Amino acid sequence: MKATTLALALLPVSVVPSLRGLAAQDPPAIRDAQQVLSRLVETYGVSGTEGPVRDQVKALLPTWAKAETDTAGNLWVRVGQGNPVVVFVAHLDEIGFRVTGIRDDGSLELETRGGFYPSLFEAQPALVHADKGDVPGVFIPRDSAFTRHTPPSLRVDVGTTSKEATMARGVSPGNTITMPKQYVRLAGTRATGRSFDDRVGSAAQLLALRRLNRTVLKHQVIFIWSVREEIGLDGAAVAARALGTTPRRVHAIDTFVSADSPLELSNFGVAPIGRGAVARALDNSSVTPRAYVDSLVRVARARGVALQVGTTNGGNDGSVFTPYGVVDVPIGWPLRYSHSPAEVIDLKDVVSLADMIRAVAETW
Amino acid sequence: MTRLRLALSLFLSVSPTVRLFGQDVDRLAVRFAGMTAVTGLERAMTDSLTALLPGSTRDRVGNVTLTLGQGEPKRLLSCPLDEVGYVVGNILPDGFLLLRRVGGARITYPLFDQQLEGHRVTVFGSRGAVPGVAAVKSTHLARGRGTSGSPDPVFTVDNAYVDVGASSAADVRGLGIAAMAPVSLAKHPHAYGDRLLAAPAAGRRAACAALAAAVQAKPKVRGTVVVAFTVQSLYTGDAGLASVKALLGPFAETKTASVAARYVDTAVETVALQDAEALAQGLVAWMEASP
Repeated sequence: MKATTLALALLPVSVVPSLRGLAAQDPPAIRDAQQVLSRLVETYGVSGTEGPVRDQVKALLPTWAKAETDTAGNLWVRVGQGNPVVVFVAHLDEIGFRVTGIRDDGSLELETRGGFYPSLFEAQPALVHADKGDVPGVFIPRDSAFTRHTPPSLRVDVGTTSKEATMARGVSPGNTITMPKQYVRLAGTRATGRSFDDRVGSAAQLLALRRLNRTVLKHQVIFIWSVREEIGLDGAAVAARALGTTPRRVHAIDTFVSADSPLELSNFGVAPIGRGAVARALDNSSVTPRAYVDSLVRVARARGVALQVGTTNGGNDGSVFTPYGVVDVPIGWPLRYSHSPAEVIDLKDVVSLADMIRAVAETW
Repeated sequence: MTRLRLALSLFLSVSPTVRLFGQDVDRLAVRFAGMTAVTGLERAMTDSLTALLPGSTRDRVGNVTLTLGQGEPKRLLSCPLDEVGYVVGNILPDGFLLLRRVGGARITYPLFDQQLEGHRVTVFGSRGAVPGVAAVKSTHLARGRGTSGSPDPVFTVDNAYVDVGASSAADVRGLGIAAMAPVSLAKHPHAYGDRLLAAPAAGRRAACAALAAAVQAKPKVRGTVVVAFTVQSLYTGDAGLASVKALLGPFAETKTASVAARYVDTAVETVALQDAEALAQGLVAWMEASP
């Protein structure tokens, strides 16, 4: 059987018990959130190769939105006019690997793109995102080892036995690698997938834009979908430099890594999933002035939007705006099991986050 | 490919009695690799097998058997269909599930349980398959909390907290999940290379696929051949096969179908479907050959 025939044979068993059928019972806001988010989650875009995700975001924008892509690859949509300019920024990229070399036995040598436990990819299916399409393979399991999260350098087997055969499949150094991923609905309004960080933020900006009342805007609002966040906030740095001191505030729309799991300590990261967006008041890259956190809480209360306040770990794109005198007021959404293949969210939080973005844009 | 296998393939390819059924083997291997049959809890897969193979029956232990031909000699051709897996051992008040492993004395991969960590699983409840995930610590929250050289022990089933999206034990029960519900890694058979198939227990499933394809080829059996897809090969001895021998034997000759695999016992256990096809052809030849 040819590879194409085998791929067709694989289709029926790839249909997992996703419970997506429950969407028919969902309120419209949950249904909309799922429709946008699932498309973004099932698109691949390791840091530096965000093109497919950017294209999906552009396709999901409201028809009135005029999008521009800057030299770094960030996508911009400007709405309204006048000062003070307010910026929202969510990132397009996801963690993964990049091919650094091809061994004589045909296997691929890799480097990580972003921070995560490489062991979560070990002995898993792989997808090489080559120039002419994805090439399947597997992450080679270690022969023996007794450490958990730090296996020896991972390699990928694409089913070949020579460097030439691997290259003949279209694989070359510089290609990125992930594993196949799928958006899957869990019980209630929860869902699992990989790269919710930060496809949820990207989806929330889209949902907010779709519902935005442009007639009430008192100043210009800029929505940015940034690139290369996971490898150093690179795209946001380009945007921040371009805007300089013009913006008054920046709202990084990014993951609030939650301790809502039996495996985590609860001295911070306390924001259960399903209870709304989160004012990410303190992380490893920024501290939001208390007065701004209070203002955010007032906006949420005035609009009846669920908002939690918490501190977590990680950096955010807004932090690179602060050297220009721009106040970073990040807004997140609680996530379990960050940077794993099985991140878990609650769709109610996606709706809450989108409502929060819209409320801030329209009233603050 | 070994010389012996090459010679066998060449012989089979020119033999007029052999049906070429590569596509059947591929299709069945993919289908079987997508199924779950935790040892001792194989019912769902045996249901599929009895539906697939007219005339087959399930014996009191759970094996699926089918008798071909008649008369002497009476021979047995089998494949084990079960896999090492898990069952729900406890349901916590906050809706997380705890697991116990079933089978596994012969596991060769030292990180077998660790393959659960941070990955999708399927819980087979009374109301159907329920997707879930095995919890893993968030990468971000671990930063700055460990010190270089601190212990990083291998994950075991005792560390597995399964999250199905429930918030309470009542939610879990509402999904049809109770203690003893089978649990496995989510199955997504993965094709790569030149007819390579990767999946948990791919070797066993490819062997059973070859056996099923051989039966579907309607071989002209010499004597009687009892075909058995056996259960409980991985728990307290090979109870399924032993019971077939006890219930339907004695047999003049027995043969167990198997396909070579690499990355054994991992989520990407890999078989060459070309090997499974050759096995199917060999099984037909064995059934048709004079003893």
